[in-house]
Order: sequence, then C-alpha cells, then structure tokens
Amino acid sequence: MEAASITETASAGPPARKLSDVVNAYALPLLLVLALVAQFAHSPHDTLDDVKTGLSNGTIWALIALGYTLVYGIVELINFAHGEVFMIGSFVSVSLWATFGVDEGTAMPLMIGSIIVVLALAMLASGTLNVLIERVAYRPLRNAPKLAPLITAIGMSFILQNVGLLWRPTPDSAPDLIGSQKDYFTIFNVGIEHSDVFAVVVTVPLLIALLWFVGSTRYGKAMRATAQDPDAARLMGIDVDRTIQLTFLLGGLMAGAAGLIYALYNGTIRFNQGFTAGLIAFTAAVMGGIGNLKGAVIGGLIIGVIQAISDSGDYLGLPLGPQWTPAVVFGVLIMVMVFRPQGLFGEETREG
Amino acid sequence: MRVRHVAALSCLLAASSFGLAACGSDNNDSGSSGTSTSASSGSKSLTIYSSLPLQGDSRAQSLSVVNGEKLALESQGNKIGNYAIKYVSLDDSTAAAGKWDPGATSGDARKAAQDKSTIGYLGEFNSGASAISIPILNEANILQVSPSNTATGLTRSLGADKGEPDKYYPSGKRTYGRVVPADHIQGAAQVSYQKDNGCTKSYLLNDKEVYGSGLAKNVVAAAKTQGLTIVGNTGIDPKAANYRSVATTIKATGADCVFFGGITDNNAVQLFKDLHAAMPTAKLFGPDGVAETAFTSKLGSSVEKVTYITNPTLDPKLYPASGQEFFKKYKAKYGADPEAYAIYGYEAMGVLLEAIKNAGAKGNDRQAVIDAFFKIKNRESVIGTYSIDENGVTTLSVYGGDRVVDGKLVFDKVIKAQTS
Repeated sequence: MEAASITETASAGPPARKLSDVVNAYALPLLLVLALVAQFAHSPHDTLDDVKTGLSNGTIWALIALGYTLVYGIVELINFAHGEVFMIGSFVSVSLWATFGVDEGTAMPLMIGSIIVVLALAMLASGTLNVLIERVAYRPLRNAPKLAPLITAIGMSFILQNVGLLWRPTPDSAPDLIGSQKDYFTIFNVGIEHSDVFAVVVTVPLLIALLWFVGSTRYGKAMRATAQDPDAARLMGIDVDRTIQLTFLLGGLMAGAAGLIYALYNGTIRFNQGFTAGLIAFTAAVMGGIGNLKGAVIGGLIIGVIQAISDSGDYLGLPLGPQWTPAVVFGVLIMVMVFRPQGLFGEETREG
Repeated sequence: MRVRHVAALSCLLAASSFGLAACGSDNNDSGSSGTSTSASSGSKSLTIYSSLPLQGDSRAQSLSVVNGEKLALESQGNKIGNYAIKYVSLDDSTAAAGKWDPGATSGDARKAAQDKSTIGYLGEFNSGASAISIPILNEANILQVSPSNTATGLTRSLGADKGEPDKYYPSGKRTYGRVVPADHIQGAAQVSYQKDNGCTKSYLLNDKEVYGSGLAKNVVAAAKTQGLTIVGNTGIDPKAANYRSVATTIKATGADCVFFGGITDNNAVQLFKDLHAAMPTAKLFGPDGVAETAFTSKLGSSVEKVTYITNPTLDPKLYPASGQEFFKKYKAKYGADPEAYAIYGYEAMGVLLEAIKNAGAKGNDRQAVIDAFFKIKNRESVIGTYSIDENGVTTLSVYGGDRVVDGKLVFDKVIKAQTS
C-alpha cells in the first residue's frame, strides 16, 4: 500500500536510516508488545479475553481516529467536533431503524439488508455534516491564526452536543439486531461474540478502501499534495478547497460507520458519547502519529487493548481497575509522547 | 516542529478536560423559570430557590420534583402569613456534563446567597452537588433542605470521610437538613434486600461520586454486620463506552449478585446491560440513584427480570391519607404518575414552609427560620409522621424494595433493615 501517511513525501525514495533511528522507531512498539507478553505469561486466558475485547473496541476508536488524522494531515486543524459527528452517526442509525420498523424480530435477510442500507445512510449523513462544518466554521478561517479554527471547532462540538441533547435527552437503546453479546464461536476458550465479528467485518473493508483511495487514486494524490504544500498544490492546478472538502467527507464517512458499529456493539447511545469517544480517538491518532493513517488504526487498537486490560483490574499483580483506566491510557500516551513526540508511526510533517 | 508542539499541547488540553467535562460551559441558570428581584430583608416577599439537575438523565426525575415542590407551595396559596412566597427553579447541571456540575452548582448557590429576599433553598438532588452548595449557603445563613440527598457524610461523622460533616459548615452552625433517610439506612436495607433474594457473594461497583462511593462503603459496613460476603468494591469510569472487561472480571470472582452504587447519569444502563450479558443468572442491585424512568425504561425485558432497586419511596397505599392524596393530585394536575422523588420534593417544600410559619412574625429572618426547622417535632406529613433530629435529618427510616416491570418501577416490599 503506497503512502499510508497523508503527509508522507509523495515521490521521494526510502530515506537512508541510521541504526539509532531504527532503534528509536521500534523500541516503543516493542516495549508495548513486551508489556502485553508479560501480562500474557501472568494470566494467559484473561489476557486473551482482554485482547479480544480491546481489539474489537479498538476498531471503533480506529475509525474515528482516521477522521482526526486525515483532517489534521491536510489542514493542521484538530477537528474537535469530530466526536459529535460520530455521535450523530449513531443517532441517525437508530432513528432510521425505528423509522423502518426494524427490530430484533425482523427476518434475517431483511435485517442484514437494513444494516447495509442504514450503514450507507449514516455514513452519508455524518460525511455531509462534516463537510458542512468545514464550510461554515473552518473554511472562512483558513488564513486566520491557528487558534481561531481551534476555538470554532470546540464551539461546533458543543453546539452539536446540544443538538444531540435536544434529539435524545436520555440514553436510548439501539435494537440488538446482531445479538451483540452472544458467542459466535470459541477459540482458545475465548468466546468471540457477534459484535466482535461485526466490528471487524465492517471496519476492515472500510480501512482497505480508505488506504487504497488515499494511496492510489488521483484524488488521494491531490490530498497528499495539498497536505504537503497547499500553495504549491494550487499552483499545480489542484482545487485545494475541493480537496479539503473531500478529506472532511472521508473523515465523516468513517465516523458515521463507527457510529453505527458503536450503536449495535454497545446497545446504548447517548448525546455525550462523542465527547469521550472523540478524546480517545484523538489520543489514538496522536499516539499513532498524527497524519499517519496506519498509525491512527494501530493507535486505536492499542488504546482498546490498554483499556480492556486496565478495566479487568489486574496488570502483573498491580491492582488496576475501571476507575484508573483513563489515567492508565493517558499515562501511556505521555510516555509515548515524551520518547517519541511524533507518535509511534509518525513521520516528519510539514514544517510550520 | 511547531506543528508537533501544537498537537502535543492540544492533546494535553484534551487529556485534562477528560476529567473536567464542563470546560467552557457556564449556563447554570438556563433552567431558571423566573428572575430574582432583590428585596430588602424585611420585605413581604420571600424567595425559595430550587436547584436540581434539569439536563441529562435526571431531567425527568428533577422536573417531577419541581412539580412536587410547586404543588406544595400552591397548597399553601403561595403565601405564609403575610409573606408572599416566590419560587425560582435553577439548574445545577450542564449539557456538556450531562449531569450535575460543580460550576453550575456553586453558581446556583451564589445566586441564592446574593438575593436578599432568599429564605430557603431546596436542593441539591445529588449529594456530591450539595457538598458544594452547603458551605456557600451556610456562610449566607440560608436554610437548605434537600429532597433527596442520602450521603451520610453531609450530616454525620459516623461512617463518613475524615473532616465530614464539619468541613461543610464553615460558620460552625448547621443550616442544612433532609427529608430522606441517610445511606447508613439504605446500606442496611440494600444488604437485607440482597440477602432476602438469596445473595451469598456480592460484588460492589460505584461511580466514585460522594453519593455512590459513600453508599458502597455503607453497604460494606452493613454486609459485615449482617453476614454477607463482599468479594470486591471497585469504582467505574462513568464515561467508558462499555463494561465488558469489568463484567468478565466480576464473573470470574464467582459473585452471584452485583450492586452498583451510583446514579443513572453515570452510565448505569450500559453497565447493567453488560453485567447481564456476561452473567445472565446474577441478580443486579441498584440504589435510589437509579430509581427513575430514565433508567428503568431503557433496560429491556431481559435485564429487568434480574434488577432490584432500593428506594425510600413506598407504595402509595402505605402512606397516610394526605400522601395518597398527593399521588392523586399530582396525576390530575400533570397527567402522569410522579417519579420516585416527587413526593420528597413536595415534603421538602412542605417542611420548609412549616419552618417559615413556625418562625411567625420572624418568617423573613433567616436565622429564625433555621431555628424553627431544627425544632420540628412529630410533623404529620405526606410521607408519615417524623421529627427533624439535631443533624437536620428526618427520623423516618423506612426503605422499600422495587422491581422493574415493562420499563416501570414497581413496588416490591418494605425492607426490614437491621441497622447497627
């Protein structure tokens, strides 16, 4: 897959690497893997179970993280409203199922059909919303100081949260169409649930499609060129505004899909789910190296696994627990940032 | 390089706001149903403020409490003696937090403290919020009556944290009271209810708030006296997407019952669903903090069957005639059955008005009203006859056990709790 990073130099050959660079690049991932292996040796079955839960949770974070990383890569803006775009994706999905009258009792083929149709519609809704946000709150500020769009982004986030609050003031249940927590099959004594399979089956094709789009199409090339140097890209005849719009659309599509998966996976949706999810996904994007698509995905999966292990309350005999999970996640983030400010898979981005 | 710094900095910002969900939100009086006019003390118009979470999951419960308070005021013709009483409903929650918020709470308390016509303050709904508003109102010497606070540490030192309750009363005098029994009683009732339903090993979870973690401690203490094994007591992250790993861990302990000390706003529905999925036969217990429609209507039929809730509100039939009358009047006026705490809203207003009445000609004197409140004895109220003890707490100690049927709270039985 060519150019997994949106900010990667488009045509330069592989840079010469010094040994210290290689050590620097692989030491931290290795350390994280070692930490996991140690935990596995400590209690094999629990760890496998946590890794399973963590990875499937992580796919949702990964999809949202992609939106942050795409947008940051191209306009160097942290789209704080992205978490809310994801929340709207959940709300649209559940509302559509209610409108179509689809619930647990619907016949299987119809149900699968409805999931596919609603997935497309939710993605479209979130994508459109993200494009609108860009048009209204970010584009007029393209040449303003960096802080201005940051503040409008936080503003959009709160506005959308209040839209969610008006729409569904209390948590609502999503129909359990996929039998979320029923075991699909068991491997190494770990039950793989319907929701785990569902999350992977929806996420993986989307990821492959996105990587292909950014890496191998003309539009993707235009995105990478714009990310590298918007002015030069404009001189080369690239419609920069259109390209930025496209980036927001792609990020929104992923968030919409994540919204649908979240609704079916967890079974409960609430207006402030986007706030937490957004922070976690943003953390994933930063941990993986912001601007790097593969980094965002792997960052999401890593955070999912860290959360699951911390939640189950015992790391190598250290009594963790759900009350410490946010601290553990951000502790690991700080460790990664201190030793590798560009993130695990980050590359040098455009000099500011 | 600058790029990275911006990213790292914003991430730290993001990380720090993780725990402070309320960043940039200060709409603490968005639910205000009236504006305060400043009148000098000695005027004939007095103001009673109510402060409740009008946003988030507690909204329905809070609105129902407001209705109860209004009904009680109307039943007195909106006046006591020569004093016209004005009622102002404030909001101690923010949309961003989705529940009560420290900033909004202190804003409400300050608003009441600065209004010279203020004679009483009804609230907060949540114990953690009252821990913030009590000191502010205490310095302003305003009588505060909560319709729903149950955390023991607000009024007594036994079973409380270090420094409680004195740290809440900077003036050195008591100004706060409540009309529901405190949580040492609910803790005992909760354990009795669990034992009645065949629990042998119980796992406790709490939402880390003043109320939730305090209640969990009280359950631990009661379990010791009553002989119920507690296999764990853990705080949860109320913002987590789900609790699957937590549920798996609890399952591994062999617990047959799980108790959650916390409120609906702190992700209780998701927690109960995930617990039930991992442990289909385990019985799940909740406290009065989830005794509301926002919780019960979202559980689904399968979780309902294993859900047990302790709640100070009893079946209407068990209340005196005036209490039964309340349920009828409420339904006639608002077209729906009241939420669990509406009757306590009615009573909180009722007892506050009685204190003003008992203060007589000094009904506009804050200290006289506080003194009158602490002297209330054998008050015949909608929830039964009770007195206010030296800590400002009702002498009633009855708790009910509830089940959930078709999304609604259904009274199960009166719990005979063995308190120490």
